[in-house]
Amino acid sequence: MIRTVDLKKTFAGRGQIVHAVDGVSAHIKPGEVVVIIGPSGSGKSTYLRCLNGLETLTSGKIFIDGVDLSNRKTDLNLVRREVGMVFQQFNLFPHKTVLENLVLAQMTVRKRKRAEAEAKGRELLKKVGIAEKEKEFPIRLSGGQQQRVAIARALAMDPKVMLFDEPTSALDPEMVGEVLEVMQQLAREGMTMVVVTHEMGFAREVADRVLFMDHGKLVEEGTPEHFFTEPREERAKAFLKQVL
Amino acid sequence: MVNTTKNVLPWRILTLVVLLMLGAGLWVATTKIDYTWRWKRVPQYFVYHAETMTNAPADGLVADIENLGEKTRIKFISETDDELFFEIDSTTLNVSIDEDLFEGDHIGSTFEWQAGPLVIGLWNTLWISAAASVLGLIIGMITGLCRVSNNTTLRDLSAIYVELIRGTPLLVQLFIFYFFLGTVLDIDRFVAGIFALAVFAGAYVAEIIRAGIQSIPKGQMEAARSLGMNVPQAMVYIILPQAFKRTLPPLAGQFISLIKDSSLVSVIAINDLTKSGREVITSTFATFEIWFVVALLYLVMTFALSQVISLVERRLAVSD
Repeated sequence: MIRTVDLKKTFAGRGQIVHAVDGVSAHIKPGEVVVIIGPSGSGKSTYLRCLNGLETLTSGKIFIDGVDLSNRKTDLNLVRREVGMVFQQFNLFPHKTVLENLVLAQMTVRKRKRAEAEAKGRELLKKVGIAEKEKEFPIRLSGGQQQRVAIARALAMDPKVMLFDEPTSALDPEMVGEVLEVMQQLAREGMTMVVVTHEMGFAREVADRVLFMDHGKLVEEGTPEHFFTEPREERAKAFLKQVL
Repeated sequence: MVNTTKNVLPWRILTLVVLLMLGAGLWVATTKIDYTWRWKRVPQYFVYHAETMTNAPADGLVADIENLGEKTRIKFISETDDELFFEIDSTTLNVSIDEDLFEGDHIGSTFEWQAGPLVIGLWNTLWISAAASVLGLIIGMITGLCRVSNNTTLRDLSAIYVELIRGTPLLVQLFIFYFFLGTVLDIDRFVAGIFALAVFAGAYVAEIIRAGIQSIPKGQMEAARSLGMNVPQAMVYIILPQAFKRTLPPLAGQFISLIKDSSLVSVIAINDLTKSGREVITSTFATFEIWFVVALLYLVMTFALSQVISLVERRLAVSD
């Protein structure tokens, strides 16, 4: 489903070059839930953002469903509609109602009729448990509700993969649960998911595989049981000691 | 700290007293100089009862006078036996039946209400400002988008335009538009005036639009792109509507400025409100009265505009 080959992303600024992602090769299979963890600044978010072209890559290759993202001729917009993304800061459209947030891209990108798009939007709002808020503006919603709307908005495009960029990091602690629940439900339904998170509980329970990144490199990968109980690498051990 | 509600009424009264004292002081000062106020003369420069005189076109005879109530119809037969009919207001009838007339004799008059110079000037200022605003908004939008474009040439060109316009006085720009471009491209003074104003406002609008676009968090564009929208779609549906809302107050200020700046077109002999005011003064010598009236008319226009825009602002505030 997603394959990255020796992916590199460097940022140049103020005379120094930062290797945010430094040669990551990974393969994410359909239906798999992959959780990427690592300390701050380890490049996990940058890696995730490369996967739908929000960051341009410096070198290496990304294949999404067989389409080569690193090829200049690839229409990124066609790829992005198949790859849903959920952001740390929700990024809902503040000038649109909740339902409009879900409807807009369906109509402009997928060219669906309004009635069809609204029906789909309502169905998804019901699924994430906030059907009654469809006429509200995002600002009136709590953080947890906003993030669930954001998930529904991404799902409205019928993506083949969902990317989550620290979806619970900006939430009050009591709202983390409701978002994780929605994600868990998605995972059960067989959605292919790549999740960058600090929620170790989620990683342990839901992930099929854990990738541990540090300094832009993929340090260790394995099943949650393996990673949380007997990590091989010293860096991973040190990290787990800090967070668990 | 104890939170007490402040009583504003005494302060309001003080404001009023200060204003009244200022007014009274000015009034006293004007009585000390030799100036006769003639406010009565002002209204006729808004609308006036224009008289059109009907005179005998040739030597001849008044053959018949027919009273139609308000109007009177006069049958006139010239020496060359041409039959002519004139219609005049009955009260102004100046001839009687069978009277011999010489060419140019006054038969009667008709009266009609006509817009005076101040109304004509007001109208010209209004439509010149409106046209320049629309044009300036379009120029500003395009330039503003160029300012944030990825294309270096577009960015450079728009930056040069903005710097050129903001760095030179509007009055000089007007002269260049009228004398240079007007001559070279053979354009009308109204067109030159409107374009000069629009190009001037466009530069400021561009900066407002650029700031508005850049004030929208990056995440909005990323969210739109992550849903598969292309850049134009993201701009039209996501970024610009939000930017528009934020730029409304500064845009309002810009267009209010434009209405006031339009007074400068009077220097290239466009009959706007300011020039009309000057013309009226030359025929009345009511300098003080006319300038006060002109100022008031500008104030009415700008106040109306700022009210309209704050109404739109309140409408758009529903999602806040």
